[in-house]
Order: sequence, then structure tokens, then C-alpha cells
Amino acid sequence: MTGPGTIYDLGYRPYEGPRLGRRGAVVAILWDGVARVLGLRRRFRAKLLPWLLLLLAVLPAVAFVGFSFLLSTFAPEVDSPFGGHAEYFDLVGTLALLFVSLAAPELLVPDRRHGVLALYGSRPLLPRDYLAARAGALTIVLSFFLLVPQLLLWVGFAALSTEGLVRALLADVGSLPKILAAAVVYVAGYGAPGLLLAGFGRRRAVVTGGYLALVLVGSGLAAAVTEAVALPGHRFAALGALVEHPIVVKDWIFGASNPSGIVGRAGFEPWVSALVITVLASAAGIVLVRRYRRLL
Amino acid sequence: MCEDLAMREPLFELEGLGHAYGSVVALHDVDLVVPRGRIGLVGANGAGKTTLIRILLGNLRPTRGRVRVLGFDVGTEALEVRARVGYMPEGDALPPDLTAADFLVYAARLGGLPARAARRRASDVLTLVGLDEERFRPMGGFSTGMKQRAKLAQAIVHDPDFVLLDEPTAGLDPTGRDELLDLIGRLQGFGIDVLVSSHVLGDIERTCDWVVVLEGGRVLRSGPIAGLVDAEVVVVEPLADHDRLVEALAGAGATATREGPLVVVEADDDPFDLVRDVLADTGIGIRSLGPRRTRLEDVFLAGGDR
Repeated sequence: MTGPGTIYDLGYRPYEGPRLGRRGAVVAILWDGVARVLGLRRRFRAKLLPWLLLLLAVLPAVAFVGFSFLLSTFAPEVDSPFGGHAEYFDLVGTLALLFVSLAAPELLVPDRRHGVLALYGSRPLLPRDYLAARAGALTIVLSFFLLVPQLLLWVGFAALSTEGLVRALLADVGSLPKILAAAVVYVAGYGAPGLLLAGFGRRRAVVTGGYLALVLVGSGLAAAVTEAVALPGHRFAALGALVEHPIVVKDWIFGASNPSGIVGRAGFEPWVSALVITVLASAAGIVLVRRYRRLL
Repeated sequence: MCEDLAMREPLFELEGLGHAYGSVVALHDVDLVVPRGRIGLVGANGAGKTTLIRILLGNLRPTRGRVRVLGFDVGTEALEVRARVGYMPEGDALPPDLTAADFLVYAARLGGLPARAARRRASDVLTLVGLDEERFRPMGGFSTGMKQRAKLAQAIVHDPDFVLLDEPTAGLDPTGRDELLDLIGRLQGFGIDVLVSSHVLGDIERTCDWVVVLEGGRVLRSGPIAGLVDAEVVVVEPLADHDRLVEALAGAGATATREGPLVVVEADDDPFDLVRDVLADTGIGIRSLGPRRTRLEDVFLAGGDR
């Protein structure tokens, strides 16, 4: 037999705990951005493409290390189809480009399209906080995308070395800052134009298409103008080859040269590509902050 | 209640506030002190309501003048203000691919609450607004009424001191409107002051203690609703002898006019006492007797002259 029940009306309970203010808001936007880009806590369709691209970026490195363990005659420095870290960036860089084309509009377009900016405008944060958190989310995911396979290779190469794992890791530790620097260059070089376009586009698909057209078709046009048009200063058109600048700087970081690239053929030194990336990223940031000051 | 309101620290103060979009002036040198409580903001399209709300939130820098909200200068302490307010926008503000639960947790964290507290608050507030059974549904599939509730929930989930509601009943059916207005009416009991901006004057009358009437960027009236709309007018419906009743009331010092089957009586003293005495003297029978509430709409249409 049960006793008489009692209903307690808890009513409205005011919150009296700590408040994290602006810092808490920025961290919330950052992790929302990461979840949004990876489709976390969303339907399967939202997860499909980002995780497929991540898989494609990591799988060759995993396969390479795996096969190397299985084939005892395999000498990684000689037989690797990827050459080394610099060459693997060429493979993963293309995937990163596709990833940015999907991730950048996902970070900025829906908030504007669905009126969610009004919510951000009523919370303790500035327009630049919002943009920094969104750019930070892209940086985190893109860095993961670029760095995880490189770290797998780094450990894999060391594990296959006849010198032993620890000794080989220490011997190749100089590769880590280069890998990190190259990842930063790819994030800035590919991410900045993606976010800039996403800050203006109304539809994600249009931004994705526009970004790929700008970076890929634009680079093709830049190459055509550089090589085919005999006008004074036409070689400067090569600077419009946005797809190439991160590759040129990455090769510079790893001490390799890229003579076949249009930027190199036009006679520009690698530092010019680094400058273009820096200017592009800074300009994108300034333009976006000015735009979002009006929106937020 | 109005005296209580007036004695407390103001909800917001506007001092020579003006704003222009290019050559279009949205607000003309507004001076206004609004007390804590439930405030109605009334005005036609283009009256300056949205501009005022954006300025109060610190989203829009006014062309001139000073604004203080909850004691903070919006020009220099906008983040302090926003840490203490919530806002329910008129337009859509809900990510359709997120569930109500995830969205509210996110909204609470944007308000500065730690993750665990945000989850607890989200759960409490979803129950409060009646969305607890829909918490795991993506909001893209919500009805208009559910969307309005979700928008209200995000405005209060971080427990603000002051919440600004822009057209909260837009698009709702009568039942949904009733339920939402009841909820808004309860907010002050939770320690949350409210500003309701609405075209629907009945909503303001029902939920607010104080009303600010804007027209063409100027404040027509700002004051307690009770004083603004409760004119002491009595309506009598006699069984017969309407004209004789009008004459008798006029003879007793009241202003009496016949409106169809009704006689409308205004008097300097209590009109009920006067009507009672005249009815007793004349022996005229009545079908009904009661006060006539002047609607806020009448005040608004009269351009604040009343």
C-alpha cells in the first residue's frame, strides 16, 4: 500500500551560480562551430561529407603505415608513395580545400539565414568575438584534418626505422614545427577566402560553389593570363592563383622547390606567396568585422 | 502598484536620445525614464520601436543622447547590459536543425552559464514554457506557437534581470496567444522585468503596468496603464426613459450622452454614486450598469491627447 503523494511545485528557480561572461560565450560559439562543421548532434546527412573527407585524409597515412609493417622489405624513405610530410600535404591540401568549401558556409551562413544573429546580439559578446570563435572552430577542425595524418606518418616513419622508435622520433622532431607551420599556412590560405565568401553568401551551396570557382577556376584563369597574355605586368596575374600560395609556402617551409607552379614560373619568390596569404587573411578579417558590426 | 514602480530604480533612462538612418530620423531627442515592471511599447510601423530596442541592447549606437539600462551606460557598458538582459526577436531566430534542448543549452552558455548549469536551466525553462515533451525534436518542424515559446525560452534561459520581447504573439492563434501572454505575465513574479513591443494593443493592456506610446520617433505618452486607459466613465442601460435619465443626470451635474440603448455618464466625482442617486430619485429601472474601460487603442488613435 502506498502512502499519500505530495506534489512539490518548484516554480521558477533563479540562477545564482557563477557567470562566465564574454569568455564563456566565445567558448560556447567555438564548440558549437566545431560541432556544426562535423555534423555532431545533427542528422546523419550533416555528418556524411565532413567525416568522409576526414576519412580520405587519414586513410592513406594509415594504409601506408599498415602496409609498411606488413611488408618487412619496405623502406619508407624509398618506397613511400607520399615521399614525406611535404608531399602528403599536397594530397591532404586538396581535401582540405574541399573541406573548407563545406565548412566555411556551414559556420556563417545559417546564423544569418535563420536570424540567429539576433540571439548573439543580445548576449555579452562583440562581433569580433563571434567571428574569432567561428574562425577558431574552422582552425581547430582543419588543423585536426591536416595534422592527424601527418602525425601518423611521423610516428609511422619512426616505428619503421631501424634505429628504434624513440630514437627515430627524436631524430625527426625537427619535422614537427614545419608540419605545424605548414598547417597554419593551409588554414589561413584556404580558410580566409572561404570565411570571407561565407560572410556574404545567402545560401551554403552558392558559397561552396563560389569558393571552389574562386580558388580553382580563378587559379586556372590566373595561370592562363600569366602565360598567354603579353601585356606589361601580366605576371602579377599569377598572384591570383589562390590554390597555389599555400603549396608554395609549404614547400618553402620544408626546403623543397615548386618550379612547376604558376607562381614560381612567374618569377615570384616564396615570401611573396606568404605575403599574399597574410594580406588576404588580414583583409578578410577586417572586412568581416566591419560587416558583422552592422549585423550584430 | 504604480507608486511602487515609480519609487524603484529605473529600468531604463533615455536622455536626449536621437537616431537617424541617413536623412531618415527614427528617434527625435527622446527624454524618458521608465520604471521597473512590465512595460508595453506601442507604436505603428516606423514609429521607432525596433530602433529603440536595438539601442537598449547596445546593438545600435545612437546618433546622439545617452541611454542607461539597469543603471549601466549602454554606450560604454554594453556588455554589462547584455549580460543582464534577454531578447526575443520578432523574426525567426531558431536553427532548424537543432533540437530545442540543444538550442537552449547553447543559448544559456551564450549568456555565460557554465555547461552543467546551462543543461539544468534549459531543462527547467523548457518545462516552464511547455516544450518539455518536444525537447528532442529539431525546431525546424515546430509550429508557430512552439517556435514563439522556444524564442521566449532562449530569452529567459540565462535568468536575465530584464527581457525585451519584440512582437511576442505574432502569428499565434487565440489559444496560443492566451498561453503566451499568461507566461509573459508571470515573468515579473520570477524577478524578470519585461518590455513588450507590440502592435496588438490588447496584449499590452493585458500584460503591462506601464505603457510607452511612440509615434514618428517621438514619445506620445509614457505612464501607468491604469491612469492612461481607465477613464472613469459609467455606462447605464435603462429599461426605458432614456431621455429623461439624460436630463436628470445633466441636472445633477454629470455629462450624460445617449449612445443607442446606452447612456454614457462622466462626472468629476464618483459617477457610480451620482448615477445611483439619480436612479433612486427618478425611479428609472435599468438592465445594466458598469464602467467603460477606455481601450489603449483609443488612446493610441487619439494621438496621445487623452
